[in-house]
Amino acid sequence: MKIIRLEFLKLKKKTRTWLGPVLVFWLMMIAYPLTVEFLQEKLEVGFFSVLWIAILISMMLATEDIFLEDFNDGTLEQIMIKTSSFSTLVSVKILTYWIFVGIPISILSFIFSFGTTEDLALSLMIFPLSIISSYIFLNLFVMGNALSLNKGSVLGALVTMPLALPVLIVLGKSIIAIQLNINYLGFIFLLLGCLSIIIVTVPLVVSYIIKAHLE
Amino acid sequence: MNNNYLIVAENIGYKINENKLFHNLSFDVAEGEALHICGDNGSGKSTLIRIILGITKQTKGNIKNNSSHGITYLGHKNAIKNYLTLEDNILLMELNDKEELNKYIEILNLRKYMDVIAANLSFGQQKKLALLRIFLNNSDLIILDEPFVGLDIETQDILSEFLNNQLKINKSIIYTSHISCQIESKILKIN
Repeated sequence: MKIIRLEFLKLKKKTRTWLGPVLVFWLMMIAYPLTVEFLQEKLEVGFFSVLWIAILISMMLATEDIFLEDFNDGTLEQIMIKTSSFSTLVSVKILTYWIFVGIPISILSFIFSFGTTEDLALSLMIFPLSIISSYIFLNLFVMGNALSLNKGSVLGALVTMPLALPVLIVLGKSIIAIQLNINYLGFIFLLLGCLSIIIVTVPLVVSYIIKAHLE
Repeated sequence: MNNNYLIVAENIGYKINENKLFHNLSFDVAEGEALHICGDNGSGKSTLIRIILGITKQTKGNIKNNSSHGITYLGHKNAIKNYLTLEDNILLMELNDKEELNKYIEILNLRKYMDVIAANLSFGQQKKLALLRIFLNNSDLIILDEPFVGLDIETQDILSEFLNNQLKINKSIIYTSHISCQIESKILKIN
């Protein structure tokens, strides 16, 4: 619990780190209707595609300096000396970022979805999809950032971007499932299955990569 | 092996791209003993420190760490968060509940900066903040990489005195320094 509290303290004071991606998401969702006609059917056509891509990009931005600052100021060295479980730190960092960025974005997803479709049931189904997918994207981009820790985060994000594509496909299919009222829960469980694998493997892989960087 | 030895290194070697930084270094550090690692710039002092810490893997030889209460380390990087106040940094270093915290805050003259963002402090003041980690340590081995750099004479003396007192209570110290200091220590010269 102590490690979570300390990561919370750090992120709380780094307003730009978590507020920036949330604002970028908000701006993208605000900008979308401006590019199409203000007709219900026209807005709904591309809305969900924009929504998933906005979540993807916001999560990419959120992870930009997730380890860089700790790497540069020597915090990671101190943690490596003190803590045997480096992967726990990685898990806690991802969780903290998700709470600060992923959850607000998921709430905004629900609001924008309701505002666009005026369908409460549909928007309520979008919320868990956003929650799970934001966590998956965050994990993937964290791995990318760890890979390119001292070479710029865009490179790392590009490396891990292909891993996010199957998730985007599942998200697209899940919207069709919702609209046709078929097997929505199946897609939720599929995403949860992916998340359960990622949530275990990513911290292990990332901790190994960071140790290699420190060496 | 003698259990009083906290660090035992045998034939340590390290090379980068076939260039040998150092080779066949053997040394040990017993309880209550200090080891001063000396050498020119680029001779590998910091790398050796990182090998002892287990951050960097040596390319040759064995090193055994027998410390039971962990290691306290202060290197070139202070692990200070620039966007946090001194008070928050102390919380982050998990020193806020240490008994002697207030004593060392007074000794290092940091009290008036407690609400100041670390970015607004000088390098020396940031170093003093980082020194709290050393002054309030619970470990049996203290490792310092150029600890006197950036400190004024008064703080250098305080640190030297503190380290000598740590030796008296059987703690061990490994350090590198270009600044002469009054710590009774064995010398390991690397070229």
